[in-house]
Amino acid sequence: MSSESITQQVPSMSRRSRWARVKKSMGEFSLSLYGWGGYFFLYLPIVILVIFSFNDSRSTAQWSGFTFDWYGEMIHDSQIILSLWNSLFVAVISTIISVVIGTLAAMAMERHVFRGKLLMDAVLYLPIIIPDIAMAIMLLIFFDISGIGFEPWKVSLFGIRLAVPYSVIISHVAFNISFVAIVVRARLAQMDRTLEEAAQDLYADTWQTFWKVTLPMMMPGIMGGALLAFTLSLDDFVITFFTSGAGFNTLPVRVFSMIKKGVTPKINAVSSLMLVFSLALIGISLLLRKGGDEEPTIGIGL
Amino acid sequence: MSDGLAVELRQVVKRFGEVTAVESVSLQIQHGEFFSLLGPSGCGKTTTLRLIAGFEMPTSGDIIINGEMQGHLPPYQRPVNTVFQHYALFPHMTVAQNVAFGLEMKKVSKDEITRRVGEALELVHLGKMGSRRPKQLSGGQQQRVALARALVNRPKVLLLDEPLGALDLKLRKAMQGELKALQEQVGITFIYVTHDQEEALTMSDRIAVMSAGHVFQVGFPEDIYENPNTRFVADFIGETNFLHGTVHRRGPLAEIAIAENVILPARWASDELPAGSSATLSIRPEKILIASGDEKPPSDGEFVSVPGQVAEVVYLGTDTRYVVRIVDGVQTVVRVQNLEMGNKRFKVGDAVMLHWRVEHGRILKE
Ligand SMILES: Nc1ncnc2c1ncn2[C@@H]1O[C@H](COP(=O)(O)OP(=O)(O)OP(=O)(O)O)[C@@H](O)[C@H]1O
Ligand SMILES: [Mg+2]
Repeated sequence: MSSESITQQVPSMSRRSRWARVKKSMGEFSLSLYGWGGYFFLYLPIVILVIFSFNDSRSTAQWSGFTFDWYGEMIHDSQIILSLWNSLFVAVISTIISVVIGTLAAMAMERHVFRGKLLMDAVLYLPIIIPDIAMAIMLLIFFDISGIGFEPWKVSLFGIRLAVPYSVIISHVAFNISFVAIVVRARLAQMDRTLEEAAQDLYADTWQTFWKVTLPMMMPGIMGGALLAFTLSLDDFVITFFTSGAGFNTLPVRVFSMIKKGVTPKINAVSSLMLVFSLALIGISLLLRKGGDEEPTIGIGL
Repeated sequence: MSDGLAVELRQVVKRFGEVTAVESVSLQIQHGEFFSLLGPSGCGKTTTLRLIAGFEMPTSGDIIINGEMQGHLPPYQRPVNTVFQHYALFPHMTVAQNVAFGLEMKKVSKDEITRRVGEALELVHLGKMGSRRPKQLSGGQQQRVALARALVNRPKVLLLDEPLGALDLKLRKAMQGELKALQEQVGITFIYVTHDQEEALTMSDRIAVMSAGHVFQVGFPEDIYENPNTRFVADFIGETNFLHGTVHRRGPLAEIAIAENVILPARWASDELPAGSSATLSIRPEKILIASGDEKPPSDGEFVSVPGQVAEVVYLGTDTRYVVRIVDGVQTVVRVQNLEMGNKRFKVGDAVMLHWRVEHGRILKE
């Protein structure tokens, strides 16, 4: 805007300013090119994957017509359905447990001074830093030596019988706690402590202060932590693979064993389904963030 | 009940590790009083307030509210409410829910809560804002909500920590008047923390001046201003001249020598000092009359008269500020109102005579 008006007022500057404008638009163009390139690189494989899940052929390289067949096959593959239920069960249970423990840990870390806090601080975040494979092996060794955990938790959901090894749930809780703790702690750190003092000043005892003020204020953090934990649990392959023992499959583990027999569009269909699921979760988290108050919620980072 | 004290502090000490925030503070605050704690930043005002509220426990000493020892009672069991500096309104509740919070905790009946919340919001002129969130209000409105949230509980004592500190100057002035009027209307004891001397002087019934954890002086605003008992108080409240010298003669009316042959009579601000010890004479700039050499001071009362020479003249609109040199190295500031009738004007270099009433000069310990 302003550069235009200057151009009109001062003709002698017009050539230079026109060049500046060209340069600027070139800059913008190349920047947007980078941007689009990045997106292209990231999302093209995903788009192809989704497209080929509708391919009317066993081939995953050549398009030969549209079909829903692979989705039909997927739904009728009892192994896949079972593993999907396993995944959801493990994710729900481990999320609930890790949200409770992670929130308590976050409060302890943020609000109290105690012996060995520094050590606890470091240890708590260890699962985030160390590679999955190391964690998986450690857990495996732990379950092996202690002999606990491999026996299954037998439940029947909507007529489907699940047998989920405790070891898998324990392992998922183990890595999820850290993520929940980080997200909740960030929220707590932002929270104004005088709000709790105000509650106490208004005759709320410690317990009432927690329920009426602290917990509602932490809620966006807790929800963010829960979604993160749920997604991580659903997506996890390495740790589940190592700690599940024989014969137990979550969806990612099932997909892995299918791939060993060759990639078919059915795998594409399963993957597309997981993608839709993840997108839905992100959508929920965004909605939650908007629905919560205007304060920024740190690091839901799905 | 009415003959007792609203709040009493007995030799209260508060230490945070090495730091002593409050050092043996004793205060007696009457029912219905507007009592201010005034002092510079870091002097322990907030800590004193937090000790009364119960957010901090005293290292030693007693706090008595309404005749009852508070000991280690938690905040939620004390008959006081606080208005926090940054309001501390609950962002996840509406204005009405904020105001209702204390009553709900006290298990007051639903009907009564609705009625009292309505009244409290009316009281602070926010009758229609009940369903809004705190974020949707201006700073001044949030301030009023905080006030309503505290007052609705009808506390024995209301504690206010620089409640106007976050407001701009104009709003602040308006709120000062409103707050004072409100206090008179509800008749609740206010303990008001501020570092703004003007605010304290205009609003308070009594003021406690604090510095470095100590209470230096407690008194009515005029007392504090007219009769400061220490150098710190004289300096912190208003502008003042300090003339350093040695005690020349003791007695009810002392004399202090500020130069070889300049000996000025004045009153003791605190205990008498022996002759020969160093002391400071404090005199407010507006208490000094500036006159030409031949003019006599008014005849009603005893005056101190000192010759001097005008060194600086600053015109300030309503006032003119003169700096007058008495002897080499000793200057005093004189403030003269520019009245309609016209006070005599002086120029730099003029020889003048300074007069002030003996009782306005006060001798302070060094
Ligand atoms: N929790 C605490 N831990 C350690 N030191 C503290 C604590 N609270 C206050 N202090 C110290 O005590 C002293 C008095 O603090 P206080 O907050 O009472 O001052 P104040 O008069 O309210 O100052 P301001 O006008 O800046 O608010 C300061 O030196 C402060 O650093
Ligand atoms: Mg303070």
